[in-house]
This record gives sequence, C-alpha cells and structure tokens, in this order.
Amino acid sequence: MRFNEKELVLLSRQPSERAAELGMRGPKKGDVVKKRLVKLVVNFLFISGLMRKRSPIGALLLEQCRVEREDSQTFSIAFLDEAERKYVFECDTEEQCAEWIDSIIKASYEFMRKNLIFYRTEIHRLTGKDPLEQYGISDEARFQVSNGRPLPTVPFLVAL
Amino acid sequence: MKLHEKILTHYLSCTSPVDKEGYLNKKKNRNDTYHRRWFVLKANLLFYQERPADRHLLGVIVLEGCAVQHSETDGHFTFSLVFGPGLKTYRFAAVDRQGQESWVKALHSASHCYLSMLVKDLARQYEEAKQQQSLGESHPSVSALKLPTNSFLFTTTQQTAVVREGRSFSASTLLQAPSIPAKAVAKKSPKLWTRRHAHVTPLNGPAPLYGEWPLVGFDPLEDFSTLHEYYGQEVKKVREDWLKSRQKEEDHTEQDLIDLG
Repeated sequence: MRFNEKELVLLSRQPSERAAELGMRGPKKGDVVKKRLVKLVVNFLFISGLMRKRSPIGALLLEQCRVEREDSQTFSIAFLDEAERKYVFECDTEEQCAEWIDSIIKASYEFMRKNLIFYRTEIHRLTGKDPLEQYGISDEARFQVSNGRPLPTVPFLVAL
Repeated sequence: MKLHEKILTHYLSCTSPVDKEGYLNKKKNRNDTYHRRWFVLKANLLFYQERPADRHLLGVIVLEGCAVQHSETDGHFTFSLVFGPGLKTYRFAAVDRQGQESWVKALHSASHCYLSMLVKDLARQYEEAKQQQSLGESHPSVSALKLPTNSFLFTTTQQTAVVREGRSFSASTLLQAPSIPAKAVAKKSPKLWTRRHAHVTPLNGPAPLYGEWPLVGFDPLEDFSTLHEYYGQEVKKVREDWLKSRQKEEDHTEQDLIDLG
C-alpha cells in the first residue's frame, strides 16, 4: 500500500510532549524487549532506534486500539481486536507509565471527535448557539452527532 | 519507515464514521493523465482504491501538514493537497463544482491539528457557558479561534435577538454583549448577519470585491485587533440604528395624531 512516507517522516520530527526511551517488545512470540525511542505525534506512535537515524523504524496508528496497564510500570497496546498480540512498553516509573497511557488514549482522533460532539451539544444546550456555526463547519459530517441522537453525558469524557 | 498497514486497513473497515467518500480523479505523478479512484476520508487519513468494493487498498494519504487548494483548470474542477517545498503535491479533479467544493471543505477540516484546536476552543466555551449559567444570567459567548491556514471569524449573532427584543444595551466596549435573561435566548439565533464563512471563499461567482472581505490579505496572527474593530463596527451601527428607531417611536407617540402642518 502506498503512503506519503516522506511527509509522515517529517511529521515524526514535529515537537511532541510525549517522547521517551522505553523498553519495547513486539507482539510476536519470541520478540524480546528492546530499548526504543518512542514518540507520540498526533495519532501516530513513531518508533525509532536509539542511534538517531534520519527516519523512524516504524509508525503505529493509534486508532481502534486498546491501551492497558500490565503492571505498575508497564503498559500495552493491542490492535486489530487481537487481545493476545500486544505491543508492550516498559517505563521507568509508575508515573511515566500512567502519563503514557493517558496521552495515547487522548491522542486518538475518535476520542477527540467524541469530545467535540459532546461540547457542541452541551454548548448548544446551555447557550442556544451552535459553536461550530461561526467557523462555517456545522454541516460537516465529521462533527455530527451520530444517528441524530444527543450523546449522553459519559463520565469518561469529562475526565480530561 | 515501516507503516503498520493492517492497523490502517482495520481502521478503514471498522464501524467508526466515514467522513466522506466518493469517486475522484487522481493525477498520476508527472503525466497529465488522471485515474479514477474511490476515495474514503476517515479522520486524518485519505484512503484510495480502484472501486468501492475492492478489498485491496491502493494507498493512503496522511493529512497532516498540508494545505488544501482549489483551482479551476480548463473546466476541470481541480484541487490539490500541497505539503510544501520538496514534498508531495497530490492533484485531484472532481466531476462537478459541488464535488470539488465539498471535498475541499471536508479535507480542510480533516487534520488532527485542526480538530485538536477546535476541541480546545470548545472546551473553553463550554466552561464559560457553565460558569455563566451558574451565575444566573446568560452572556452569549463570543469567541474566535486562530485556525491554521484560516482567517478567523468573529460574529455576534446574539445581537440580532437583542434588537428584536428591544432591550437596552449595557454601556461598554463594542464587544460587550448585553445581558439577556436565559429565556430570551432563541433556540436558533436569527441570521440577520450575512454569514461569512471563514475559509470557504465563493467558488462559483467572480471573486468578491476586496473590500467585502476584510480578511483577505490579513495575517490573522497579527491583526486580531483590526478584525475585532472591523466587526465591531457592524455591531455599533446596528445598535445605533436601533436606538434611533426606538427614539422615533417615542417621538411619534408624543406628537399629534394628525399633522396639521
């Protein structure tokens, strides 16, 4: 599958608040832990070797994935509904681990979309105005409440 | 760099919403030929394949760091994704104007960065709205956001509701919207203001007069106060007109019913 590699590599060089050397183990049997530079940019996780080469080794899209705590300093990301095949990341501290989990969840486009729809609905309810009108994007399919039903106030959305 | 393709194809086929899909003609590299492809826009990813039913994906374009530009070439409804010097430019042709416009609009608001800024702005508006509600009165929330490659737009649609209700204005800056009891706030604010879409310039007619579009040529990052002033003028004028008309009414009621000259 073709993709705009050069542009994606450039994206990987953008500033990020979430970049660190973590121990990383791949999803296949027999994969061992290797120290990697892991960097979160928009909804991609870029994996690089420690040698600071020009391009990352790989890029993982952080959509439709499940992030879980494995133990106090370790978290995992499972893709493709394959709960057994996970990428495992070892952090230095509990706090770092918690921060990574939080950042990855919030980086997802789908997560952000849900929040946007929630705020849009709430602002309209509180003020009678659609906040997207002033930007001329109120008709975009992307920002519509699914099925025309207003979203319930889901607890996890509020805990930002 | 290896891109984990299965994650992308899985995301494409899963139940999360498709933001836009349809046929577009994609220009082939340096040739002048176009190939018809089926495009699916989901989040900040533009997937393409030969036909909708195909299981084989031809490719994906990650939409971060690009500008969407529309153009008109020999009656073709073309537009492009421009990543910058030394980087790719993807060129497309839609079948008609409507297609061109709607794709340009959809792609323009597709990036993660754009959505991120929008969410931050709405989060702030939400907090303000909650605070104002708990204070017992409703100040219409007035806000503007500097969006990438956009001129931002500042409107006070609430003003029109006030004019109709005949309420007095609070004496203050141009920006200060008058206080309106929550009941008076219309569900849908009446649109007496001509809607100026921040980033959608009319594609059909001739370009509007330069004077009509104060945002053209402005650098939004530097000229907020100028824009603020400009739109404030309209507000000021409407208030003055309303005050004048109110004054006239009062005058009328005091005059004789028949003007004997």
